[in-house]
Amino acid sequence: MFDVVDLHVAVNGAEIIKGLSLSVPAGEAHAIMGPNGSGKSTLAYALAGREGYEVTGGTAKLNGADILAIEPEERAARGLFLSFQYPVEIPGLPALTFLRAALNAQRKARGEAEIGSPDFLKLVRAKAAALRIEPEMLKRPLNVGFSGGEKKRFEALQMAVLEPRFAILDETDSGLDIDALRIVADNVNALRSPERGLLVITHYQRLLDYIKPDRVHVLAGGRIVASGGPELALELERDGYDKYLRAA
Amino acid sequence: MSALAELPNRRVEAWKYSDLRAALSEETLVLREGRDIIERLAPGVQRMAIPAGESRLFVERMDSPYQDARSFEFTLAPRAQLTRVIVQDGTAFPLSMARVHVGECARFTQFVLAEGARLARFETHVDVEGEGAQVELNGVYLAGAGRHADLTSVITHKTAGGQTRQLNKGVARKGGRAVFQGKIVVEHGAQKTDARQYHHGLLLEDGAEIFAKPELMIHADDVQCAHGNTAGGLDDGALFYMRSRGVPETEARALLVEAFLVEAIPEGLPAELREELLARIQNWLRRCVA
Repeated sequence: MFDVVDLHVAVNGAEIIKGLSLSVPAGEAHAIMGPNGSGKSTLAYALAGREGYEVTGGTAKLNGADILAIEPEERAARGLFLSFQYPVEIPGLPALTFLRAALNAQRKARGEAEIGSPDFLKLVRAKAAALRIEPEMLKRPLNVGFSGGEKKRFEALQMAVLEPRFAILDETDSGLDIDALRIVADNVNALRSPERGLLVITHYQRLLDYIKPDRVHVLAGGRIVASGGPELALELERDGYDKYLRAA
Repeated sequence: MSALAELPNRRVEAWKYSDLRAALSEETLVLREGRDIIERLAPGVQRMAIPAGESRLFVERMDSPYQDARSFEFTLAPRAQLTRVIVQDGTAFPLSMARVHVGECARFTQFVLAEGARLARFETHVDVEGEGAQVELNGVYLAGAGRHADLTSVITHKTAGGQTRQLNKGVARKGGRAVFQGKIVVEHGAQKTDARQYHHGLLLEDGAEIFAKPELMIHADDVQCAHGNTAGGLDDGALFYMRSRGVPETEARALLVEAFLVEAIPEGLPAELREELLARIQNWLRRCVA
């Protein structure tokens, strides 16, 4: 489903990701854990195609198709989704207008018909209800005045509406209190399916109590230095990243 | 040439960014007697008085392809309300001058949507002459290549307890030039004045020009005044966020600019008029950004 081989990424000429390989089969959720500065967000941005994150080597394929050569919006239309650590606030742009523009742009790129206003509203209401999100929130400008929890829940709603094949969650737990964390995790779990892969990036094990990963990878010094089952996360919580940092 | 010589050029401080003499040098000019240069170019001052307690909406469309100089004097009696909207897409020399007298507890709202022209200038002088009067003076400029749009205003608070809200926003493309000159004067007796002036410009490309000259002159000691002025480019983070959701770059840019601009459209305009203003902004963005 999602295969990364020997990926190298440089930011401002400095290599941050130094030969990372990773394979997430459909239906699985993998976690990437790593200390601050290990390259977690760089990996997420490079995979989504952010300017300034220069891929200097390696490949990343979604269902066999190379995604590194295409624009961020094309990656999205192919089914890649990045849930941001800090979703951007855009005053003046209603959240619903944004979501509709995104959905229709993706449909258009895939050669599907655009969705009309009434059908779109019906769809969003149904998805919001399933995630127990208040529809009032959608009338507000995008992420403006949203609490940390609301921002992450709106990310989950976007994911529910856009139905990506593969989603990367970049430190979804940051800025959330324990109740908000549980709610957002419930939202993400509701979106797990046999056809969809998930990559959960975090530096705390706590999130993984709620979003149970099939595999856990340790990112240190720009490489994956260890992989294992969910028990690896518990070990990291207990012993810290020290031994991996020394190895890297 | 003698008429031309009387026109202001860039050496005149209030016209330093809008060189009218150079712009009109190829035009045939007849100057009339009067106080101000636009008033002298205009065929006459149009006067409008809003009686006490009444409200009016006044929409001006400056769409002439020729020199189009207009001069107005508005007088708002106590508790009167006037909303003035200017929609400019004429391409030659739209020049507008207005003097506004705002009475006690009256409310004057103005919004200018300027697409710019060879030289377009919208000059508004507001005298707040009654206690508790409110002024909202907003504008949006869309300065495409070869267009010049100048929003100039002087708001003078002469009496106590007045309120001014001023929000001007705009975009300039390569070869486009926008000017914001906004002066707020709070006279000695105008205590408890609450005035805020903001101007935010977006430079869409290298070679776009935005000139801003915000001024606050405060002669009273018990007032609240604030101003803010920025000019910059589109936020890369916002652009990437939208693209990562599938919105193509050109459409994302247009949506971001629209979101940036709409904040300056005053609340409370008739729905049809608001729709028209939005549609004009969207059309411009489709032509010039997307």
